[in-house]
Amino acid sequence: MTDLTPAQLVPYVTGGAFALAFIFGAVANKTNFCTMGAVSDWVNMGDLNRMRMWLLAIAVALLGSSALAVAGVVDLSKSIYPGPNFTWLSYIVGGFLFGVGMTLGSGCGSKTLIRIGTGNLKSLVVYVFLGIAAYMTLRGLLGAFRVGVLEKAAITLPMGQDLPALLGVNRAILAMLIGGGLLAFAYASKEFRANFDYSLGGVVTGLVVVGGWYVSGHLGRVAEDPNTLQEAFVATNSGRMESFSFVSPLAYTLEYLMLWTDKSKIITYGIASAAGVIAGSASYALATRSFRWEGFRDAEDTANHMVGGLLMGFGGITALGCTIGQAISGISTLALGSILTFASIVAGSAAAMKYQYWRISTED
Amino acid sequence: MNFDKDLDARGLNCPLPVLRAKKALNDMQSGQVLRIVATDPGSAKDFETFCRQTGNELVSQSAAEREFTFYMKRK
Repeated sequence: MTDLTPAQLVPYVTGGAFALAFIFGAVANKTNFCTMGAVSDWVNMGDLNRMRMWLLAIAVALLGSSALAVAGVVDLSKSIYPGPNFTWLSYIVGGFLFGVGMTLGSGCGSKTLIRIGTGNLKSLVVYVFLGIAAYMTLRGLLGAFRVGVLEKAAITLPMGQDLPALLGVNRAILAMLIGGGLLAFAYASKEFRANFDYSLGGVVTGLVVVGGWYVSGHLGRVAEDPNTLQEAFVATNSGRMESFSFVSPLAYTLEYLMLWTDKSKIITYGIASAAGVIAGSASYALATRSFRWEGFRDAEDTANHMVGGLLMGFGGITALGCTIGQAISGISTLALGSILTFASIVAGSAAAMKYQYWRISTED
Repeated sequence: MNFDKDLDARGLNCPLPVLRAKKALNDMQSGQVLRIVATDPGSAKDFETFCRQTGNELVSQSAAEREFTFYMKRK
């Protein structure tokens, strides 16, 4: 691919992102892969199988991404996650609010796309509110608060914030220890082992993230962009190597649609991946005749989804990612902030569920 | 099938149908039957897991048109 110009690489990058996201959308729909559902099953029923599926995805992504890094195929330090600026308050606040938002909004960013593909109009509203809030947090009013207040609480580390740099331990060894531990935890359950869908959902999601790094970090990498004479990762909104994440791509999709006639705007990796998830989920739903239109139940249901979308948009940008972006793509780089965000998202989601149950219990 | 309490979970998505079912069952006596009508396609798997984990019995479930109906006996 090195003989191609950056412009010629764009279709490979966006096409690759779309194809991988399509697979994820279809498989996540089939296997009921849902990070909010994982927290719900755990908190409300004491069932850990979907949490094991999520952790399996993290393990596969971690092992695969580390293999690519060790083999020199990609350089994970070129992504946004392991940078030296450890914005701890942003990870905690953003992650927690994202967790609350995904509970109110019937699922995280990726689940919102999956639900749109199955005909859920509520999730379409979540998409719009999430996208607007994310854009406001990237460049608008909420962005001023994010940068001026939350990101002030930061620790600048001498190296990156990834565990290999922080602990001085070889990446391959750490990946095998953590990834192996997660695999062992997932498959320790007989029930988990007996249901193929759990393995399918976890393994495919993890592999899709690994494939995402390959597409953006290898196929889409230009050692020296002829225009800037600097390294570039083509068709990315961040300008860095990307894998899958479902907050900012929703904002950039809205921006692309609204600024369609601005020829400087192109379909990026993130935009293609958001479209791919919807297409994959919709294809599975249509093929299995499970597509059905769903709408709001009442005013409270509407408000919950609007607020959920807003919280996910703000929280996801503030924490630099979501349950896929930080909790799978980010953790696959072994960034400390990704692990902190993952824990904060789970805490926020669990707290919101406890609140919802308390509210139901005090009705009548 | 006869039932003692009815829960309308139509239009609600995860986790609300499960949370409302949990609350309804808490207010019922052992052996009583709760009927739940839901529209969330994920509710079938959710209620199967809920019953397996909590020990309540999923007596029957059916799907018609765009609705899923569950009969759950409190343990």
